[in-house]
Amino acid sequence: MITQFLQRLLWLVVLVTAQMVVFNYIHVMGYATPLPFVYLVMLFPLGTSRWSILLWGFVCGLLCDITSLTLGIGAASMTLVAFVQPVLLQLMVPKDAPEDLQPSFSSMGFWTYFNYAAILTLLFVLSYFALQSFSFNHIVDLSIACTSSWLMTFLFCLLFEGLRHGK
Amino acid sequence: MRALLDFIAKYYHWLLFFVLEGFCIVLLFQFNHYQNSVWLTTANTVVGRINDWEQQALRYITLGDVNQALTQRNIMLEQNNLVLAEHIAALTHDSTRSEKLQAERLEDIKLIPARVTTNSVMRRDNLITINVGELDGVRPEMGVVSGTGIVGIVYMTSPHYSIVMPLLNSHSNISCRLRGTEYFGYLKWDGQHPLYTVLDDIPRHARFKVGDIVETSGFSNVFPPGLFIGKVEKIENSDDGLSYKLRVHLSIDFARLHDVAVIAQQFQAEVRTLEQRADPLINH
Repeated sequence: MITQFLQRLLWLVVLVTAQMVVFNYIHVMGYATPLPFVYLVMLFPLGTSRWSILLWGFVCGLLCDITSLTLGIGAASMTLVAFVQPVLLQLMVPKDAPEDLQPSFSSMGFWTYFNYAAILTLLFVLSYFALQSFSFNHIVDLSIACTSSWLMTFLFCLLFEGLRHGK
Repeated sequence: MRALLDFIAKYYHWLLFFVLEGFCIVLLFQFNHYQNSVWLTTANTVVGRINDWEQQALRYITLGDVNQALTQRNIMLEQNNLVLAEHIAALTHDSTRSEKLQAERLEDIKLIPARVTTNSVMRRDNLITINVGELDGVRPEMGVVSGTGIVGIVYMTSPHYSIVMPLLNSHSNISCRLRGTEYFGYLKWDGQHPLYTVLDDIPRHARFKVGDIVETSGFSNVFPPGLFIGKVEKIENSDDGLSYKLRVHLSIDFARLHDVAVIAQQFQAEVRTLEQRADPLINH
């Protein structure tokens, strides 16, 4: 229990720090900014109490906001993703899956996890950019930024998962 | 209460979700200028629209009261209109035709002012004594009027006094008509109330209503036509059922009669002489 908590805390610190130090400075073609701190929410196993996922997501988003001066945007998006994650996971795993199933390539199968990660990151990026631009006046720019950022976020999440798995 | 707690326990994550998101939104608008201004602009527009709807709804709801107020106002204005119309009619009437007619009528008429010395209203055959007589030019059969209507006819004269047979006398019999129509009848007193008298012999086909004005017809040569007598108070059938009998509210209160005038028509004597000369011929 404590171990699990410390593990999550570690992930939280690593992700926030990485976002603050590295990812905030990446703007590929002026558009694509990876936001892989959403990976924290994707870690929660099946059967985790929903309030704890919500709080973890919220705190992580809030810390990222504070470090990158986007107060409210990351926190709101992370809370949304944290609210959806348990439902999505429940839908994507088989009915006879173990109750504390940890989402990963090996436990869910590559493509299922791939879809799971794609949906969560897409939801997160859409929410994030919608709140950031707060208007649809520049819909083309917004779409490009969303798509490219989503792709990069998604890739980094898969990369993290690969690293964790390889450990 | 328990159901509420159960509900919260079951859906607490929804509650937490909304609380956290609400907090995020507050942060978003509080610390981000751009989002804040967009929010304010949008909120202003939306609030303005909602206020507009609310006002429209309120206006619709209060239409009942407005309608009532308007109706009352309308009635008031209509009454005003009526009064003004009457005023205008009276003014234009007076200043042109009526005044001219009145002047023409009174051209050959001399009014002898008089004062009532004795009077009674309680008897069946009342008589009035006035302080003018033969020396003042008063002759029997002359008409007597007051400021508000006709009083009666001179019955007997002495050098300084005259006796008048007022409307309140069972022998009084004055030819009248209804103003605006040419229907005429005879005004008699039924000896009951000093404020009311009876107009008889109005034909059945005459069209009139309560409140119509009764005036002198001018047929008797005692009064010029058009002098005010009173107003129709009540419409009844005559005793034989062949004509109308109208109860007329007199314009004069005989119990308070003081100043009167005798109408001396210039040609009255001449007309009477002519009639007297014609009488034997007719009787033959």
